[in-house]
Amino acid sequence: MTRFLTATALLLASSTLASAEGQLQLFNWGNYTSPELLAKFEAETGIKVTVTDYDSNDSALAKIEAGGHGFDLVVPTHQYVQIFVEKGLIVPLDLTKVPNHGNIAPEWMDVSWDPGRAFTIPWQWGTTGVAVDTAVYSGDINTSEVFLNVPPELVGKINIVPEMNDIVNLAVMWAGGEPCTEDLEVLKKARDALLAAKPNWISMDYGATEKMSAGEWKGSVNWNGSTMRIRLAVPTVSYGSPKEGYPVWMDSVAMLKDAQNVEEAYQFLNFIAQPENAGMISAFARYANGIAGSDAFMPEDMKTAPEVVIPEEFKAAGVFIPTCSPKAQEYMTAIWTELQK
Amino acid sequence: MAERSFSASHLPGFTVVALAVFTMLYVPIFILVANSFAVTYSASLWDGLTLDWYAKAWENEAVQSATLRSLVIALSASIIATFCATMAALGTTRRRAFKGQTLIYVMINQPLMVPEIVTAVALLIFFASIKVATGYQGLGYLIAAHSAFCIPFAYLPIRARLEGMDLSLETAAADLYASPWMTFRRVTLPILAPGIIAGAMLAFVISLDDVVITEFVKSGGQDTLPTYMMGQLRRAMTPEVNAISSVLLVLTVLLLTAFFFLTRKND
Repeated sequence: MTRFLTATALLLASSTLASAEGQLQLFNWGNYTSPELLAKFEAETGIKVTVTDYDSNDSALAKIEAGGHGFDLVVPTHQYVQIFVEKGLIVPLDLTKVPNHGNIAPEWMDVSWDPGRAFTIPWQWGTTGVAVDTAVYSGDINTSEVFLNVPPELVGKINIVPEMNDIVNLAVMWAGGEPCTEDLEVLKKARDALLAAKPNWISMDYGATEKMSAGEWKGSVNWNGSTMRIRLAVPTVSYGSPKEGYPVWMDSVAMLKDAQNVEEAYQFLNFIAQPENAGMISAFARYANGIAGSDAFMPEDMKTAPEVVIPEEFKAAGVFIPTCSPKAQEYMTAIWTELQK
Repeated sequence: MAERSFSASHLPGFTVVALAVFTMLYVPIFILVANSFAVTYSASLWDGLTLDWYAKAWENEAVQSATLRSLVIALSASIIATFCATMAALGTTRRRAFKGQTLIYVMINQPLMVPEIVTAVALLIFFASIKVATGYQGLGYLIAAHSAFCIPFAYLPIRARLEGMDLSLETAAADLYASPWMTFRRVTLPILAPGIIAGAMLAFVISLDDVVITEFVKSGGQDTLPTYMMGQLRRAMTPEVNAISSVLLVLTVLLLTAFFFLTRKND
């Protein structure tokens, strides 16, 4: 009982020390921060990092907007970065305190949602594409045709992840439009293709990692990290990056305006922009990270993984899906609702 | 007997409906528990039994601290909630009926009726302003929030017990010149005790399971077991989460079984 009381007292007391020396409060996606990375950071700097989880950009934004949260760093997805900036919730970085800023890979430096990386340091990124068991279908898989014009071999065996933004934008780009388009011609073409293809899909469901590893599905619109895990179970599975355009996402670390431990936060930002540390981030959550030279520090099975290291010829087709206008959002939702029926 | 009294079990299709309902309720839970013993990472492949995931969850420091935090919050909140609920139950039953009684019931049971997300958002805004003003970031907010929404769960069994009690015992005590406090201490409280314990256990379980309000109220480093598990969903689910869920399930079932025995009519 005494032990329990002591533990209680410690718990109650410890949380009031949020701004004590050698502390850092990181607000990040759950199961996304490598414990080894934090241990290394503490060993090098003496700063103890406390991680608090969130499970969606919206709940993170809501908590930070309310104020009084006590966090120093947050890791929003690209389309949320500008929202954080516009609301004045994150501050421009003092780059003199992040000498490793130059390690950000050139292709991730001048991103549309944070030109010149004034606000954020890359954490991890990934893509949405198609996972196909090439033992079943050996044709071209680097195209959205795989699920919009399902080849006979895959009819009734391919799944769609139920993510509106990914699916509708893949179809829109396939139809020749820009993501978040308001062009009715393009939207109509995308909708018709989706509705016509739907009978050929086995399902619209999550869980591709499990279902494809078990061989229940032979194809799926899927994320690259998940596809790598499938390939480790079923070697004939390949990942296609649709040449008509495919969504790319990136989560990046930003400094909160009301950060209490600013110096510590800068040390952490500089730390994660070091290739060997970025490699540790990837080794844990299994996504690429956007820091040049970090490949050398990734686990063997990731260094050569075609899902993680996107082949040069398909890189250009990757598109950051921006925050769509309310009108575009309305069109997308309408298509999605029709597709769900 | 001329006519059999009405019984739902004699309606056509009773067995089928009952079986279907129980299947839907319990099959997913059985699958979850079974998967927590699976060897492979992947949830739908089956190639052997293991306790590894339990060991892994047990050794995980994040799980340890989240569990301890969950227990501290649930224990504190259930004690506070039960105390308030007992007083509320006494105040609403041990007196003549009064005007606005229904309104008071509704107000006490408010957390049962207001959608959790509404309470969560309201608390987020309210607590945030206190956090800004005072700088205090501790567990106090979570304990206060949990105490509040646990009150009706503690209140209902206590009130039920009070209403089912034989008032003549209290009257007899008063007739024998026991002071009101003495009557309460020596007569009412001992008879009421099972109700209080049942209420406390129900409150404990409700606090232990809460996700939405906790997610919105928690400060830095204050993940509880359920919010920690929610956070795991971004990546592939592992049997480790299944193992933690199974342990939570067993704990909840044990407490609810005890609750059932304590609130049985003929004890």
